[in-house]
Amino acid sequence: MPQMHNSQSSALDWVARQWKRIGLALVIVAAIVLAFSIHHRSVQAAILRADPDQILGDPNLRDAALASGKSVFDRHCASCHGADGQGNQDRGIPNFTDEDHLYGTGTVSEIEQIARYGIRAYNKRGWTLASMPAYASAIPYASEPLPSQTPKQIEDLTQFLLSFTARSTDAAAALRGKDQYVAAGCWDCHGHSGEGDDAVGAPVLTDNIWLYGGSHDDIHRSIAKGRAGYSPAFAKKLSAAELRTVSVYVASLAATKPSSRKAQ
Amino acid sequence: MSAIDTPSSPSLWNPSEVKPRRSLILCAIGAVLGLLIAGYGLFTAQGTRIAGVSPENAATVNGIPILRADLIQQVSSLYAVSYAQATPAQKHKALDDMIREELHVQRGVEMGLPNDDIDVRTALVGASDAQVAQDTLTEQPTEQDLRAWYAAHPDTYSNDGLMTLHEWIYSGTADGAAKAAAGLRGGALASSLGLKTSGRVDDGEEFYFAARIHLGPALFATARKMRGGDVSAPFKARDGFHILQMISNAPPVPTPYEKARDAVLRDFQAEKVKRLQAANDRFLTKRADIKIASDLK
Repeated sequence: MPQMHNSQSSALDWVARQWKRIGLALVIVAAIVLAFSIHHRSVQAAILRADPDQILGDPNLRDAALASGKSVFDRHCASCHGADGQGNQDRGIPNFTDEDHLYGTGTVSEIEQIARYGIRAYNKRGWTLASMPAYASAIPYASEPLPSQTPKQIEDLTQFLLSFTARSTDAAAALRGKDQYVAAGCWDCHGHSGEGDDAVGAPVLTDNIWLYGGSHDDIHRSIAKGRAGYSPAFAKKLSAAELRTVSVYVASLAATKPSSRKAQ
Repeated sequence: MSAIDTPSSPSLWNPSEVKPRRSLILCAIGAVLGLLIAGYGLFTAQGTRIAGVSPENAATVNGIPILRADLIQQVSSLYAVSYAQATPAQKHKALDDMIREELHVQRGVEMGLPNDDIDVRTALVGASDAQVAQDTLTEQPTEQDLRAWYAAHPDTYSNDGLMTLHEWIYSGTADGAAKAAAGLRGGALASSLGLKTSGRVDDGEEFYFAARIHLGPALFATARKMRGGDVSAPFKARDGFHILQMISNAPPVPTPYEKARDAVLRDFQAEKVKRLQAANDRFLTKRADIKIASDLK
């Protein structure tokens, strides 16, 4: 009996030692998790307190923001904008990797504004000022009286726009299109020289960057049927930190970084 | 033996022995951990009123946050400079304005303006509906859903048809009009048949929508079915007999899905928004305690 008692006692001692080791290991893991969490939160707080347009220029904040931002991008943006952020011209999804920006100039704060409040996303703080009229319809634009265009006039306008990149196939039509550009009210958003207006999301018409494709048929269709893409408002879906870091990540995709553009 | 194996009270942690002190210590550790977790949740939850200002906010007014991002936007809009270029005075001015706005919003709610002020009420109805729409737009439909929508609305995603035609008016009798129509079919010149143009479709090729407006629904319905070279029967009207002579008629051509996808997505989401807003109305009505006067039931 004493022998049995001794063996039972040593087994219980062994169990006790294992529990202590497990307990210690758990405490160490908890401490590491806590330390990591505190560090993570302090970095996130620093990112949130920083001027968003300066984050890409700060190596400490930049790396943390990009790592976190990519993860947010993959979960919430990549399904439309593509994993590489190059968009999709067939679908009117903008390319984040070029230097062209439809709304604003591509700064982190402007991108964050779009991510938070959207474009035509039913949020009054978002970008909702204008959209492309559908000129081949009885009422091209609901909020402003604009004249419908005949098929010939739409073709003339198309030739005029193609002429900016030396692709017009009908010089006379392009010349008529120049007058029609004024008569149809295109200048109101796109400017008298087709320079565009990033305050209302009106693209530059003189370069060869096209949101919905730049072929004759694509341009013709944009004029005839109109365009009104949207970007969702993630204000209620993403946290402030997620919105900030994903905006930093998106800004970093552009060939020319916003921080350097601001300095120019 | 390691330190871990040498507790200060060797028998305290021996599981084979019942130790009330050990139970108390474990209970205390559990309670402290529970309190820590609860406190963490309590003081970090969104919208929690705490003494400090959380990093994403520029200020809080009675616990309601003013976002830094909104302040940055406000400064940029007001002074047309980047936030970094704005002076401290400009930043303070913008923040003061935003705090003032928040104070007045809260005061307005306190005074019951949502009940009294028609503009506030209109804005709240719009904002409440808009919130449903915003939530809807953050969810992307599947390609399958979009293709099904496209297939169910073939007329919506087609080019408008094109037609070029003449609309002639004959001022004489019905027999004369019939003879004139026959003459047109035979290739005679309109002027030689006593026909005059109505002037409504003389601009050359036009879209169906424009032809419908110019001709009116009845004549357009006839014109739509005509082919190039066809001449219609005369239509009696107040100003004489109208005869349509079709030069060319190109019916609408469906736009391929890939080219129409942006419009399909827009329409699909707009319909979904409408549906969810209607569902929201039903939900609000269902959960509300609405009593209607007996004479109005």
